Amino acid sequence: MKPLGLPLSMFLVFAIVILAGSLGAIHYLIVHVLLRRPFGDELPAGLAGTEGRDDGRMADSPAGGAR
Amino acid sequence: MSGANPYFLAAFILYVILLMAIAVWAARRTRNVMDFWVFGQRMGPILATWSLIANFVSAVSVIGFTGAVYAGGYSLMTHTILGLMLGVSGLYFVVGLVRRLNVLTFPDLVARVTGTQAARPLAGSVLLLSGWLYLVMQLVGASLLVTAITGVPYQYIVWILGIVFIVYTAIGGLVSVAWTDLVQGVIMVGAVIIALGYMVVDLGGLTEINTRFAAMDPSFVDPTGGGKLSWPVIGATFLAFFGTIFTEQDMLIRIAATRDVRTAKIHLAASGAILSVFYALLVLLGGATAVALVGSGMGVENPDAAFPTLITQYVPTWIGIILVLGVMSAILSTTDTRLHAIGMTVARDMYSYFRPRVGEAHLLRVSRAATVLLGLLATAVAMDPPGTIIVLYGFRAVLLTSAFLIPVYVAIYWTALDGRAVLAAIVAGAVVGLGAQVAGGSIGPVPATFCGVGAAVTLLLVAHWALGPRRRQEAALAGAAADERAG
Repeated sequence: MKPLGLPLSMFLVFAIVILAGSLGAIHYLIVHVLLRRPFGDELPAGLAGTEGRDDGRMADSPAGGAR
Repeated sequence: MSGANPYFLAAFILYVILLMAIAVWAARRTRNVMDFWVFGQRMGPILATWSLIANFVSAVSVIGFTGAVYAGGYSLMTHTILGLMLGVSGLYFVVGLVRRLNVLTFPDLVARVTGTQAARPLAGSVLLLSGWLYLVMQLVGASLLVTAITGVPYQYIVWILGIVFIVYTAIGGLVSVAWTDLVQGVIMVGAVIIALGYMVVDLGGLTEINTRFAAMDPSFVDPTGGGKLSWPVIGATFLAFFGTIFTEQDMLIRIAATRDVRTAKIHLAASGAILSVFYALLVLLGGATAVALVGSGMGVENPDAAFPTLITQYVPTWIGIILVLGVMSAILSTTDTRLHAIGMTVARDMYSYFRPRVGEAHLLRVSRAATVLLGLLATAVAMDPPGTIIVLYGFRAVLLTSAFLIPVYVAIYWTALDGRAVLAAIVAGAVVGLGAQVAGGSIGPVPATFCGVGAAVTLLLVAHWALGPRRRQEAALAGAAADERAG
């Protein structure tokens, strides 16, 4: 079997690459479009308020990370 | 300039004028440093998607990938391209958390997970060097390509390209870069589709192309190149390219530029799907190029000359013009994004760390100055790049993946992980990965990327457990101090 003139193993590599790149799109379509799951714009509790702790430079910067 | 093709040259000049017009229009929307750095964090899904696509496909990958297929067949899909595509999808699955952390750059993310702001200039230095080397190599590859296509001497093309992308990146920052990327991405993808379509018709169909390509050498259509590539080498190459998607500065900057988590997810989901098809078509175009050139007696010694030869000698002029525009798009969309990223690295990750209280207008001036100076320096070096730059460029993927991939992304999810363990793992990954690469690309039979990533994982776990008692002691002291204040 030689799909598109390629050995099956090489053809499968092409198919796997396209599938690998499309995993995000497949997930988005199923989870966020079909199942309408929310995106959750809030940070999980364990990560809230964990900005750099040593000297507050990021918060003091005019264009700091927390905007 | 006597060998210049007037049609290709005219297309090149008109294209540059069009880009500058778009960039100047977009630059009027750049009002402050956040606009310059991250599009004011209001980039929508279409702009973000095409900006990523346009940046992702460089001139070096167009010319290099088609050249690699010309010389070695389709095995490129098994490691490099599979790693890149799985990397884009992998980043999709963590982008929600990364976007919610609201960091602007990768060093911001490192500082966040290590709890150490000093990590910003440290990580920034590594990314600055990596990004600048990438910029130089892009300029070299791009200029060689445009010289081959248009006939204009290399030393002129380097400066023309350099000045064009420096000017429009410096005046509008990410706003100009993103809007020009939108145009460039569409042209680039369209050019490859049209060119492959022409080649398929010209050579009698895709099956015929692949059959003739296999007849040239059966290893060309084998996933391991007929056994030339061992599985450890395939795995290490895959891992190195997979990791760069998570650790490139420009990827994090674009995520920060999206207006919300939904946009961040859409742009990676759509880009992954489009890019995976695009790369499959590009690799097939490489096969078609080999069949066409060898079959018509135009075979080339240097694989990198294959695609320019196809453009200048094989396809009709109208297809050639479309491909020139596609190549120009690949060149400028990648160089502008990388230049913007290294300018921001200097201003945001390094300068603002040491001068935390300067105003936004001052930071904007620093960003523009860094963009111009580093761009000019890259252009000057690209005139005659020393061999060491080419060697260092090869270390880029190994270094970024070894140092940052596991420590940073594990720490995002494992919030109890000790920040000092994360820092130690980053240093260990960088030293061991880079050391193994310097030592010839491996330690014994183990490829450099595996060595670096393995060292990072080991030190991450060992340091975390070793620091456990100290961490509990510090927590107890902090609790006692809080009780004392409350009492």
